[in-house]
Amino acid sequence: MAATQTDRDAKKSGGGGLSLEMKMLLPVLALLAVLSLFPFFYIIWMSLNTVSLINGISFEFAGLANWARMFTDEVVGAAWARAALYFVATVGIEMVLGIAIALLIHELVWGKNLVLSLILLPMFMAPVIVGLLGRFLTDSSYGLYAFVLRETGIFESDILGTSSSALTAVILMDVWEWTPLVVLIVLAGLASVNQYVIEAAKVDGANYLARLRHIVAPSIAGVVIVALLVRSMDAIRYFDIITVTTNGGPGNTTKIIPIRLYETAFRFFDLGYAAAIGLGMLVFSILVATVFVRILERRGLAK
Amino acid sequence: MTTTSTSGRKLGKQAVLYAILVLVLLWTLVPILWMILSSFKPGTAQLSPTPVFFFAPTFQHYAALFTGGNLGSYFLNSVLAAGISTIIAVTLGCLAGYGLARSHFRGKQHVAFWIISTRMAPIAAVVLPLFILFRYVNLLDSLPGLIVAYLTFNLPFAIWIMNAFFADLPPSLEEAAMVDGASRFQAFYRVALPLVTPGLVTTAILCLVFSWNDYAFAATFAGPSSQTLPIAAAQLNTQTGLSWGQLTAIGTIVVLPMMIVGLAVRRYLVRGLTLGAVTGE
Repeated sequence: MAATQTDRDAKKSGGGGLSLEMKMLLPVLALLAVLSLFPFFYIIWMSLNTVSLINGISFEFAGLANWARMFTDEVVGAAWARAALYFVATVGIEMVLGIAIALLIHELVWGKNLVLSLILLPMFMAPVIVGLLGRFLTDSSYGLYAFVLRETGIFESDILGTSSSALTAVILMDVWEWTPLVVLIVLAGLASVNQYVIEAAKVDGANYLARLRHIVAPSIAGVVIVALLVRSMDAIRYFDIITVTTNGGPGNTTKIIPIRLYETAFRFFDLGYAAAIGLGMLVFSILVATVFVRILERRGLAK
Repeated sequence: MTTTSTSGRKLGKQAVLYAILVLVLLWTLVPILWMILSSFKPGTAQLSPTPVFFFAPTFQHYAALFTGGNLGSYFLNSVLAAGISTIIAVTLGCLAGYGLARSHFRGKQHVAFWIISTRMAPIAAVVLPLFILFRYVNLLDSLPGLIVAYLTFNLPFAIWIMNAFFADLPPSLEEAAMVDGASRFQAFYRVALPLVTPGLVTTAILCLVFSWNDYAFAATFAGPSSQTLPIAAAQLNTQTGLSWGQLTAIGTIVVLPMMIVGLAVRRYLVRGLTLGAVTGE
């Protein structure tokens, strides 16, 4: 046994320099660098150029012109403001509903698994199908939800064609698809709350709200923050639902920043400028990632 | 006497809970059921101004998709692009995830941060440089191009999650195997890898779901010869003057397989979807 131990140590320190762990890790990281760092530096380079697609690709160095333009561009500013509103509304509603639904499911005695499985279904759906299904349901001639809203007198105009309702509709589509994810995460947190402490509090006469506030809330706080971060990063990642429903309209009311970027690049072919906008978005997601990794470290998970 | 009243109150509480959850389930399930129902509805019932619930079911929309709509080749493209990128991501993710979990080096947290921020990068910002780079190397409108595009998010995801699963295993198991004569690689392959099978399957399924469901990458890169199902669905909506029958049929085809495989790994989902931050049941 002692022999194998030294043998192994010899292999670890000598034997071609790299340990097996490193031999497994480094080639894959090299590939990831090609896939991620290369495009990353390339988009920085693009943002410093006027990029044209006419007659092949041509780059013309423009210095910080795209950047200067971005910080004074009211249309882009408005798209950021709308993105902030969309972001706060979707993630906010998803968090509140998700936590509430998780608390309800957690109290169930019978059929907990079945209820959870059914509630999770929307989050496996392609966002583009959610958007198209949303269009179908709100179609002013044939849509089921449009019909219900019309017959009950709640809303009678074209839902996705009216400025006031279009934003609400796309927000609700996102809420429909992603609230289940918050439910799933919060339920995992609730499952780890110490049952003995809950029982002891019950014996001491603490009612449900008091237990929620003093025992449950502190113990699921970390998990709730994780849910918030995961949803935040995805809220700026995906833009499929809006693309296939309103594509930013009517009258720019749903034109959040990724939609603006996409049309700048692939409709106006102003790719250098779009790159600057894209880097702005990247800064946001790097901030989210920073907080996320901090939390992982604090929970001892990013060993 | 007191026991019956408490259990009566408990029963009442449960009844209220189920009543609220029935509403939540209606909100969740009505759109899905309506989509599936509509995909079997004949055209006349489809175009009725009031909702039709009872009708003679028909497969005409599914048939039309396959005969006139070229759906078979889109389906194949989706399966190949999502499947191959998943296989590559999970294989490499296993190797690198294990390497990361078992090695200690300076700057490891920076590497971890880089991996996770790659996964979190906004799709719109990733699509842009890739579009130009793909034009240079002729990867636009090709399946290999889509596979590479999907690897940009599946590879960092697979490395990160497999790292979390491997980090959970006590290294003493592998050490014991090596004391018994196994090589370092055998300790990984024969001891550690089988123990993370649930994690491996979950990672594979999530990679599959993410790439199968992709719209933005395929909408930008794919052309006539590499079109996937989500693109076909979106184009149906604009080209053929809104055939809701075909649209709900293709929606059903896209959605059902992912729901089935997703629920199959429900126990481990939370781990995967929180990038390892939350452990399930």
